[in-house]
Amino acid sequence: MEIKKLKLSKKYKKLLIGILIVIIYYWALGGTETSPTNFAKGFPFMVDFVGRMFPPDISNLDRFLLKAIETLQMAIVGSSLGALIAFPLSFLAARNIMPNKIIYHAVRGLFDTLRGINEIVWGLIFVSMVGLGPFPGVLALAAHVTGALGRYFSEAIETVNPEVIKAIVSTGANKIQIVIRGIFPEVKPLFVNYALYYLENNFRAATVLGLVGAGGIGMELITSMRLFKAREVLTILIIMVLMVAMIDRFSAYLRKKIVSIEVVE
Amino acid sequence: MIRIENLTHKYKSRKEEAIKDINLHIKRGESVVLIGSSGSGKSTLLRCINRLVEPDSGKIYVDGRDIANCPITEAQKIRSNIGMIFQHFNLLERETVFKNVLNGRLSHVSTLKTIFGRFSKEDYEIVRDSLKRVGLEEYKNERVANLSGGQKQRVAIARTLSQKPKIILADEPVSALDPKLMKEVMDLLKNICDEKGITLVSSLHFLDFAKRYSTRMIGIRDGRIVFDDKPEELNEKNIVDIYGKTKDWYMYGKLGF
Repeated sequence: MEIKKLKLSKKYKKLLIGILIVIIYYWALGGTETSPTNFAKGFPFMVDFVGRMFPPDISNLDRFLLKAIETLQMAIVGSSLGALIAFPLSFLAARNIMPNKIIYHAVRGLFDTLRGINEIVWGLIFVSMVGLGPFPGVLALAAHVTGALGRYFSEAIETVNPEVIKAIVSTGANKIQIVIRGIFPEVKPLFVNYALYYLENNFRAATVLGLVGAGGIGMELITSMRLFKAREVLTILIIMVLMVAMIDRFSAYLRKKIVSIEVVE
Repeated sequence: MIRIENLTHKYKSRKEEAIKDINLHIKRGESVVLIGSSGSGKSTLLRCINRLVEPDSGKIYVDGRDIANCPITEAQKIRSNIGMIFQHFNLLERETVFKNVLNGRLSHVSTLKTIFGRFSKEDYEIVRDSLKRVGLEEYKNERVANLSGGQKQRVAIARTLSQKPKIILADEPVSALDPKLMKEVMDLLKNICDEKGITLVSSLHFLDFAKRYSTRMIGIRDGRIVFDDKPEELNEKNIVDIYGKTKDWYMYGKLGF
């Protein structure tokens, strides 16, 4: 039996896609009760809340700042720990240097699992394992970052030009030497970029980890919220925004400094 | 120096063998140039000699040791005596000239010392001498990416030279350069090999080049040797044998005469 191919003209195709998009949005908006009327209904309360936020209450500023510093510490330790674990593992998950398929898939699978679970969820898990405080927060960040950086590192390794590697092979170098002197220099700038990106990312993630009891400024935020101290909430938000901006600047500066060359006499 | 017996290799992605039943004996100090169309098997043959390509069958004796059929650690030792120059230089573009040339010393440095970047004074001395020989001493702290094509190939020659090799394999060493630089780089490579008694095996596209820089020419067609003699002996008929009456014959064959 001959099956006739259904050939839609371009016009109908476009129309069909259009209808499909409308349906998807109707379905998603309906499910989330997002509507202009709901927005209008809620608007006065929003205005009221924002109004109650001013002026920011700085009577507890020193406590908030200490917590902000703790958040930064969590981001630094969590990111570094994650990067340190991801770095050696990523070579095992790069197709071009890992001949063993089983190890390759196992490490890839580990990365995807770690990365697939959000920092907050990791936070919940580690809080129930090791109790409240910044330490489970650090572990949560490290777990997620190990997965994410491991994945990006190993993909960076796979993009190294195989011919460049062959040149190092041809000198008689052994496998470890090839990795250190042939592959690592090629991926170093990418690694630095990814790691710094995750430092920024982790600070933002660390600000919310407090919501589940895993340390950082998020704990103060949720406490102030629950006690309806809107003016304190504003103070905390301002601290968060300023610190994120500072860290972004700092890591941009580091990026420039780290990827420089060594000079010989 | 190099003795090849019944060497055959087929790439998984292709139907035909890249090289078929090659038998070849290259003596110390020879300058052998492989000629033939693109895809004739020149590059595969060269890359089998230092086992960058793992041959399917056959033996390759380098200084009496069979590199094709030995453990990989043994192959690494044999490789340290064989330098290689590539068409596209294959340098670490973001690194300095010096660091690239230093990689030629890797087979003389332990793994632990490599991790900490501890090369010996002698290694540094050899690298300096190599850079001096190719005329790039002042560029040692320059990033490779900032150099011209001709300079890059000279860095690659210096890297190979710092291996203190007995053999240099040159896979289309000047094909990516413009004509003026082609001669400069080829002269440099040939002179270095003559000075130090290094056996040179190269593949070159242009016949006049192949003739000028060889003591022996080997023509390859469809993975088989179809010509093997002194360059003076090459005639029009041989050229047709090597290239066939194809576009390549016109391009490379005619151009040489």
